[in-house]
Amino acid sequence: MLSAARSETGARVVQLLPTPPSRAAAAWRDLSDGFAKSWMWWTLALQDIKLRYRGSVLGPFWMTISTLVMVTAMGLIYSHLFHVEIATYMPYVTIGLIVWQFVSAVTSEGCESFLRAENVIQQIPIPYSIHAYRTVCRNLIVLAHNFLIIPLGLIVLWRPVDWRIIETGAGLAVLAFDGLWISILLGMVSARFRDIPPIVASFLQVAFFVTPVFWPVDALGDWKAIATLNPLFAAIDVVRSPLLGLAVARTSWVVLLGSTIFGCVITFALFARFRMRIAYWI
Amino acid sequence: MAYLRLRNLSVEFPIYQGGSRSLKKSVLAKTIQGNIGRDAHNRVNVLALADVNLDIEHGERLAVMGANGAGKSTLLKVLAGIYEPTRGRFCASGQVCALLTASVGLDPDATGRENIVLRGMYMDIHPREMRARVDEIAAFTELGSHLDLPVRTYSSGMMLRLCFAVATSVRPDILLMDEWLATADASFLGKARRRMEEFVSASSILVLASHSIPILQEWCNRAILLDHGRILAIGGVEEIAAAYQKAA
Repeated sequence: MLSAARSETGARVVQLLPTPPSRAAAAWRDLSDGFAKSWMWWTLALQDIKLRYRGSVLGPFWMTISTLVMVTAMGLIYSHLFHVEIATYMPYVTIGLIVWQFVSAVTSEGCESFLRAENVIQQIPIPYSIHAYRTVCRNLIVLAHNFLIIPLGLIVLWRPVDWRIIETGAGLAVLAFDGLWISILLGMVSARFRDIPPIVASFLQVAFFVTPVFWPVDALGDWKAIATLNPLFAAIDVVRSPLLGLAVARTSWVVLLGSTIFGCVITFALFARFRMRIAYWI
Repeated sequence: MAYLRLRNLSVEFPIYQGGSRSLKKSVLAKTIQGNIGRDAHNRVNVLALADVNLDIEHGERLAVMGANGAGKSTLLKVLAGIYEPTRGRFCASGQVCALLTASVGLDPDATGRENIVLRGMYMDIHPREMRARVDEIAAFTELGSHLDLPVRTYSSGMMLRLCFAVATSVRPDILLMDEWLATADASFLGKARRRMEEFVSASSILVLASHSIPILQEWCNRAILLDHGRILAIGGVEEIAAAYQKAA
């Protein structure tokens, strides 16, 4: 009977199967198929938010309130500390913190995009990118809630916005896109090396203090380049300055777009190479 | 026409444990050769499937037999497209539905109804369409008002009912099942059995992995016997079952 089995399989081996698509093509299909299933990651992201705030009266608006409390406290104290007019400092720190929260949440939650979806990845073949889209989408929903503070604040302080607001929109679009490759890159690396998430967490903690999120860039004096070459500052600057009616630092767009392209290329190369290993890693 | 084809297919698992899970140790192992290299690089490779050749054609009901660790689950995961083979080729045509474990995609904090929609979504059904079907599925589970409670409050039997009802509400071409679904009806009602029959007969290919010979005999018309990742024999269910029992 064993020989019968062998001849049966042996006879069938002759016919060859078509060559599978290249890794890069498969990775690209993963990204586009994942994007096309927007209903899936949108529903999942919404479900994440819903579960996080289930049973609370204000729901996701707790985020808005906690951010509001934070910026009020920081605005009052640090405007004194830095000897800056509170009406100038308040919007500066508010927008800075809101954008920072988005960047840092996408980065730290990005590490978990595949790890958290372990039981799905192990059971159901859906594009890997869906898990990354979900992470970004969830954080965009959080950002939208926090962002409500900005128009309110601008009205209270009576600071009109001008055409530069288009730049803010463009900045946010680039940040959302950055969130995507960061989630894929860190998600993949963290699935393989389990010490990445704590490393990223401590990196973010340091980055918060060395990036001009809540302190004015000009305070650096001659050392200003430390801030202007920092991609995290560039990310905040392109959203913040236009809303404050200021010009974006000359370097910001260059630094931001440069690191975006750099990150995309690396991420795509690694994603194409290791995408199918993710199921083995987690 | 639905089919699944495997050619000289192997799956090798690197088992990452201890040091090789850590970036720090992996980097150190490269810089300080010899000293801690062995320590940090305790990678073990497991050959889960070895040189498998198999064609599954339209109308086949394939039983996958084998002892624990023979590669049954790995084979199902390859067929589902979850594991990419490390060597060899795999080709599939048809819409595949893999029902490997009962709890997949269940969110313990979400209610039964929400989970019906969530699970449907993982089976590629749009939430809007799923919401239209929720009542029919809910009625089948007979869980009544429990469906509005979080799933973590469910007993395992209730959970199984929910999963069974959702899983069998679709009509895929290719059905890949671990035995949980086939055994579910024993603990549940006569109507579950009818539903299961409809479900299986609507698919054009069934691949069922199980330890239970009676279940395989009932649902399948062809069988393979796996041992240490290799196909030992292919043939009729009775014949392979006899070989399996002899080996065990």
